[in-house]
Amino acid sequence: MINLLPLIRNECLKIIKKKRFYVILLILVVLVPMFTYAQMRISERSRDKFNSDWRLEIQQQITDNQNSLSSDRIPEEWKTYRRIFVQQLQYYLDHNVNPNEPSGVTFTREFLDNSVNLFIPLLIMAVASDLVSGERTTGTIKMLLTRPVRRWKVLLSKLVALLMFVSLIVLSVVIISYLISGLVFGYKGFNVPVFTGFQISGDTVDMSTVHAVPQWKYLLMQGGLIWFVSVVVALLAFMVSVLVRSTAASIVVMMAALIAGTILSNMASAWTTAKYLFMVNLGLTGYLAGTPAPIEGMTLTFSMAVLAVWGLISIIISFAVFTKRDILN
Amino acid sequence: MLLEKNVGGPPVVLAVEGVRKKIGRKWIIDNVTFDVKEGEIFGFLGPNGAGKTTTIRMLVDLIRPTEGTITVCGYNVNKHPEQALQFVGSIVENPEVYTYLTGWENLQHFARMQPGVDKARIAEVVDIVRLDQRIHDKVSTYSLGMRQRLGIAQALLGRPRLLILDEPTNGLDPKGIKELREFVRKLAGEGMAVFVSSHLLSEIQLLCDRVAIISRGKVLAVGGVNDLVARNSPYVLWELEPHSQAEALLGMHHGISVLPPDEVTLDDAVTAGMGPNSIVTVMEETLIPEVVSLMVGAGVTVRAVHKINPTLEQLFLKLTEGETID
Amino acid sequence: MNDSKWTWRLVSLSSIATTILLLVGFIYAVSDILYPKGEAAVTSLPAETQTPAAASGGEYRIMALGDSLAKGTGDNTGNGFVKRTVDGLLQDGKARLVGNMGINGLTTAGLLEKLQEEGVRYAMRQANIILLSIGGNDLFGDSGILDTGGDGGAEIPEGASVPVLPGTAAGDTGTDLTEEEAPELTPESLLAGLPEAAGRLGEALQRIAEINPEAHIYYVGLYNPFGDVQELLVPGNQAVTAWNNAVMDLINTRGNMTLVPTFDLFGGHLDKYLSSDHFHPNGDGYQRISERIIQAVR
Repeated sequence: MINLLPLIRNECLKIIKKKRFYVILLILVVLVPMFTYAQMRISERSRDKFNSDWRLEIQQQITDNQNSLSSDRIPEEWKTYRRIFVQQLQYYLDHNVNPNEPSGVTFTREFLDNSVNLFIPLLIMAVASDLVSGERTTGTIKMLLTRPVRRWKVLLSKLVALLMFVSLIVLSVVIISYLISGLVFGYKGFNVPVFTGFQISGDTVDMSTVHAVPQWKYLLMQGGLIWFVSVVVALLAFMVSVLVRSTAASIVVMMAALIAGTILSNMASAWTTAKYLFMVNLGLTGYLAGTPAPIEGMTLTFSMAVLAVWGLISIIISFAVFTKRDILN
Repeated sequence: MLLEKNVGGPPVVLAVEGVRKKIGRKWIIDNVTFDVKEGEIFGFLGPNGAGKTTTIRMLVDLIRPTEGTITVCGYNVNKHPEQALQFVGSIVENPEVYTYLTGWENLQHFARMQPGVDKARIAEVVDIVRLDQRIHDKVSTYSLGMRQRLGIAQALLGRPRLLILDEPTNGLDPKGIKELREFVRKLAGEGMAVFVSSHLLSEIQLLCDRVAIISRGKVLAVGGVNDLVARNSPYVLWELEPHSQAEALLGMHHGISVLPPDEVTLDDAVTAGMGPNSIVTVMEETLIPEVVSLMVGAGVTVRAVHKINPTLEQLFLKLTEGETID
Repeated sequence: MNDSKWTWRLVSLSSIATTILLLVGFIYAVSDILYPKGEAAVTSLPAETQTPAAASGGEYRIMALGDSLAKGTGDNTGNGFVKRTVDGLLQDGKARLVGNMGINGLTTAGLLEKLQEEGVRYAMRQANIILLSIGGNDLFGDSGILDTGGDGGAEIPEGASVPVLPGTAAGDTGTDLTEEEAPELTPESLLAGLPEAAGRLGEALQRIAEINPEAHIYYVGLYNPFGDVQELLVPGNQAVTAWNNAVMDLINTRGNMTLVPTFDLFGGHLDKYLSSDHFHPNGDGYQRISERIIQAVR
């Protein structure tokens, strides 16, 4: 009877008025300058060392990594990782393309790669964990559910509002990191070529499908992959928010899962069943950059399928529980 | 079980039939049946923990009954909440509104959730609850009374035929309580059915036309407040001198029973103004002139006579055999 | 009221636009990863990098190439003779390190491969002093002495861009060679590969000179690390001397090359100047090598 649109509008306004989104923007505005400054120090140091010649820097990086390959103390997986890394660096060097061309765009690209696993999911959680449990904590859920609206509509409106903000958050991360880092590194660099299409098999890289993509398009592709990851994280956090009564508990549950994911990704490989966990599959942008997946046998299709299944199950559980459950307090 | 007959009269707005609710292994609501008619103020009386709030939550589809049906204006609340809840305005427990929104934004929010509520209607309910001065301020700056009024405004938005108020006088000052009473009477006068829960007997007695008494998940009695009260004789308090002679005289009189002090269950507020030697009796009001002349004839000084109207508490004590209402 | 209306419009429209944009990116990304089209050769620039930066007056631009000695394995400070040479030359004026391409375990064959890498060639072109340390692994590596523990490259280079396990960052090296494990060495077995290795070295020197004709090459001669093992003293000495002589022959034919001898530096003082792996120099040993190089450069 009641159209969905006014309900979505309600939910959006609540998210805005609750200042959740501002908090996220504030976090970005505070943290990105810190990352920018750290990056600036790194490039300053290498400029001193290599006389601002990136080729020397890359070559030194290659040599350093090659050196570590001969060590027996380094786990085999890490060697694989380094071998692949060396081959990619070599490719950039051979094609006279600086993979780290300092610019706001490059910074943003690297920042996105580094934040897809934990930082962006945390921002998503800041909105998602509160959506249902927040109404239960304050008791407003009673007001919400005693209106002549079906429960699934109420929940769906919340979900749609959440997805709207997921997109806005991803966009904000890109824009804010570009604007702030651009102050230091300059705003150019959209057309710098970036190589993608490294096919990793074992510890060698198949270069036959490597191709250059202008950096703006690379950013767009990263954005798309991060968006997919963020949607799944949002669905999961949303489910937890439905299941758990307090916002604090809901945040803790999701945070623990995400951090467990980063730890597992680093320990990696030995326990291969871990690849079915959603947390280790968040690094979709790695497939674009050609970074070896944390666990053998993971591919883009695999990771997306795992994430999609987790996301779907979350939706089903969220709706099943929310529409059936008694609101006792 | 005391059930009154439904003899025609105004249409039934809310009908609750044989509702039971089981949580875990326990039946926390066991067979609740009553109905509320148009234009009446219906009291729902019971001590804390008796199941009042659970019942109210079932009325508005927050909790699904295990058995039984709840019908509002002909629609089953659990099967057709979209239709049934249109006719219901409610405040369950405290008036919890969004404190980070203004009063106006809160009303807009709830207005979007029901059909046929426009800006003019919002302004109208703001006017009804007299919040127009502060309506554009954040709710976090409101006093409890103002939040209560905002909650009522919210409940009235959709021009409900049934208004459900859960412990509406909680946290209000005496002035606010008086205003609320007048307000509820006015709404009922306009034809709205009002369902009020309370653990305060006086409140129900002052406000309601009919009452259901609930204890431990069971409805003990349903009926007109006056009918229920009339089943009890009033207390009459005597201040007489000399005390012992007077007490003997009263005790001998037919139709008068003198209560020993430890069986008196009157409120402190009532007994406060009386001397230490007052005698509490249960008797018909019509006997008072006769007894007074008897006393005077016997040389007993009559200092004061107080009639105290029968209360629901007495009824309640009778029904529950001892469980008190706090 | 109006405020919330505009907020809503702004949020809804921008989020729809953003979602569409991100969806497009998502589709691009998925199709690009799943169906990559190799076209690198077309889009990328050909690799011939430019000539060295204009020769600046009196600046030493140093580049190191070669095996674990060039890398500085065994030096607890991690500096090796390369860093120490740069530091020493700094006292004369301007000196900087273009790059240190020392790789643990590199042989002359590996060196030839390295010289084909564009990055290495590029770095060499930037330098006017090239420090070369090679041959030790050809001579002793093939003999089996070092096969047991690789070339002791447990050190993680500073600035490596891959994560480092805490346990592997320890300063000591992996090779722990004891006398008992050393196989029987004869001068013959040590010298068996010498002619070929020397040939490869000659080729490498030739290439280096071609890549950067301007640069002066300093070849760091070999010492005998097994002088403290009775049965290895004589064969080791003989092999090292033979190698050094062969290198001298190669170098003498060219003008811009110098052999920096180190045989005598370690002669009777192995306990003082070798690190705990009994093969690589320690900090003091590297310091002595770098002093020799500095003398040769001046």
